[in-house]
Amino acid sequence: MSTVTDKSATQPAGEQADVVLSVRNLFTSFRTDQGEVNAVSNVSFDLKRGEFVGLVGESGCGKSVTSKSIMRLLPEFVTVYGAESQILLTGENLLRYSERQMRDVRGNRIAMIFQEPMTALNPVFTIGWQLDEALKYHTNLNRRQRRDRVIELLDMVEIPNPDRRYDEYPHQLSGGMRQRVVIAMALACEPEILIADEPTTALDVTIQAQILKLMKDLQERTGTAILLITHDLGVVAQTCERVVVMYAGQVVESASVTDLFHDPAHPYSKALLESIPRSGQKQKGRRLATIPGIVPSLFDMPPACRFAERCPLRQDKCDQVLPEITDHAGRSVRCHFPVNQNSERR
Amino acid sequence: MSEGSTESRSLRKFLRHKPAMISSVVIAVYLVVAAAVILGDLVTVADCDRRYGPRTTPGFGATQEAEKRLQDIVWYAEQIEQKLELREKLRRRSMARGEVPADADIEQELRGLRIGNLRPADVSADELQDRLDGLWDTVAGLDEFDDLNEASAAGGEQAATISRLLQTAHRQMQSLYADQSFGESFRRDLHLLFGTDVAGRSVFLRSIYSIRVAVLVGVVTGLISVTIGSLLGLAAGYFGGWVDGLVTWLYSTFASIPNIVLLMVLAYMFRGGEVDRWLNDRTGDGFRSLIGGSLDETLIPVFVAFSATFWIGPCRVIRGETLKLREMEYVQAAQVMGYSRLRILLRHVLPNISHLLLINFSLLFIGAIKSEVILSFLGIGVKNGASWGLMIDAARDEVLVGFFWQIGAATALMFGLVLAFNILSDALQDILDPKHV
Repeated sequence: MSTVTDKSATQPAGEQADVVLSVRNLFTSFRTDQGEVNAVSNVSFDLKRGEFVGLVGESGCGKSVTSKSIMRLLPEFVTVYGAESQILLTGENLLRYSERQMRDVRGNRIAMIFQEPMTALNPVFTIGWQLDEALKYHTNLNRRQRRDRVIELLDMVEIPNPDRRYDEYPHQLSGGMRQRVVIAMALACEPEILIADEPTTALDVTIQAQILKLMKDLQERTGTAILLITHDLGVVAQTCERVVVMYAGQVVESASVTDLFHDPAHPYSKALLESIPRSGQKQKGRRLATIPGIVPSLFDMPPACRFAERCPLRQDKCDQVLPEITDHAGRSVRCHFPVNQNSERR
Repeated sequence: MSEGSTESRSLRKFLRHKPAMISSVVIAVYLVVAAAVILGDLVTVADCDRRYGPRTTPGFGATQEAEKRLQDIVWYAEQIEQKLELREKLRRRSMARGEVPADADIEQELRGLRIGNLRPADVSADELQDRLDGLWDTVAGLDEFDDLNEASAAGGEQAATISRLLQTAHRQMQSLYADQSFGESFRRDLHLLFGTDVAGRSVFLRSIYSIRVAVLVGVVTGLISVTIGSLLGLAAGYFGGWVDGLVTWLYSTFASIPNIVLLMVLAYMFRGGEVDRWLNDRTGDGFRSLIGGSLDETLIPVFVAFSATFWIGPCRVIRGETLKLREMEYVQAAQVMGYSRLRILLRHVLPNISHLLLINFSLLFIGAIKSEVILSFLGIGVKNGASWGLMIDAARDEVLVGFFWQIGAATALMFGLVLAFNILSDALQDILDPKHV
């Protein structure tokens, strides 16, 4: 597992050759009737070739907006990106791309899979047809080659009897099978990056484990970098190498999985980890820890630390100054008073 | 149960759905008849306007009162008599001029006489005159009774005499006309199946011809409205923003005008021939030859008027469904695969609303037929030939005196078609919705 070297926002992009995707100072706002609402502010992270990164946070923290910003899927006439924001795909800023250029990127270089496998496939076409369309659109393969490739892809995602499945409709497949097809479709054009937006949330636990293992295997085999968006820390621990924790539209901590799980630096990460239910004798009779309070409203963001109100370590400074992302003991943290071994320990 | 594709599954479901099967057979019959009228001249406009017998005779050869039977016999006799009188007149005129009477011409004219497919008997004019005189004698015998209906209803010897005389008169009347082959008499029976109207026209032929009008109006306005409605609805639902605003405004505006009023305005607009003249002037007489007559004589005004209002229904439904589908993950998935918007719209969204297109078409088909009947009834719909609306309009006075054959035939045929379509579209909704498994 690679050691964590998350670059701070100030470093120039594309410095390291193996960085495929670099999100720099991403601000995403929406124009609404109540004025402009900032959903994602100053998010920066890198994704290296063949890396498996988790993007975690609770509902409404901006995970999906971040991923959709990368894909430029947000409705254009209400979305505003910050002037400084950059989304660099091997050095090219996607935010400057035209819709036409984006179409070449989507599916071809960055693919995305969604949460709900039940509705992610078009019910009126066979899965073969749908996979074939992706290849027809993005490659120059002829009909025979495409069919062979589709069957190869179905085989790759471990669907039994791919020859027969080719002509089946989505409703004839189970949820796990459908998610496999969705993954096959996403990987059809061998993209450099795969963004998986809660790919296993709708599946039951055994299928979830299978799908995660499949994604991990495929990532190792194809070298595709995967950005896994989830609120499930268990999933992250199982698969990811690195984790980016988001809170209220900001990145609060970015660290390797081992570091984060053993020794979280940001109080929010720590609180999140503590609220995972655990089994075992020691836990008997103990109440599950929760984080008090609620996420601040998008319309009413505190100007300083956004977590301050719910933070057990809150001090006066927290209410006055917005903490910058700082490198702290091998990871980046957005906190004035990070908790971890090297500093104070609670 | 995962055998076969969705298409064959739908087909199997359809074949098992009894009402759907029956109604589609009924519709098929209507469509075949309509096609035969349109393409094969099964019934022409001329057939609709031709006399087939005495006025207001009931259908299915229903027994009539003595008085009416006598009137009918007299009517048939008079047709022959008129020709023979003409012959006399011409003969006298020729004689006065000292020419040889042109009997041959008269015979020729007599041969040309047709009542439906009845022809005068193949005998000389003099022979025909003799037979006619015989008939008039019998009729004179019947005239002795003041009131035939009362007398025959009273029973006894009088009634028997009347019955006998009527039978004789009927036989004599038949002798005036040529014998018919089985085929000919079958066709004649068919023509009089639903009786005749007040002008002696065949109700059966008119109601059959009306199927042509109904199916044409239904299919053409159905297709145009569904096409316009679905394109606008798809665009509004998928693109949103100002496109949606415009389309919504457009259909709200159209929907706020009472349907029948708008239809009447549009129908009147085409009526005076102004539009027709204007178009014809622009195109250098090309327009009239293209549509085969002036606008008023064709069904085009009806098509335009209906299409202008009927697209609203499908547009609304399809806009709503598209709004929903746009947020479906497979549409988003198509987006992240980098497909163009047009491709997503036509290849990913459209197939998912195809069942709505079919259902809306079948609903509009019925709606158009019903509206056509209403407009024709009001006198602003179909102008020539026949339509169920015209027939119902014409039957208003007949119904008051208890003669229901014309209104009955028109209503029954319309009822059959509308009911069959309703059942079919209902069944289609169950069968075709991709979300129902």
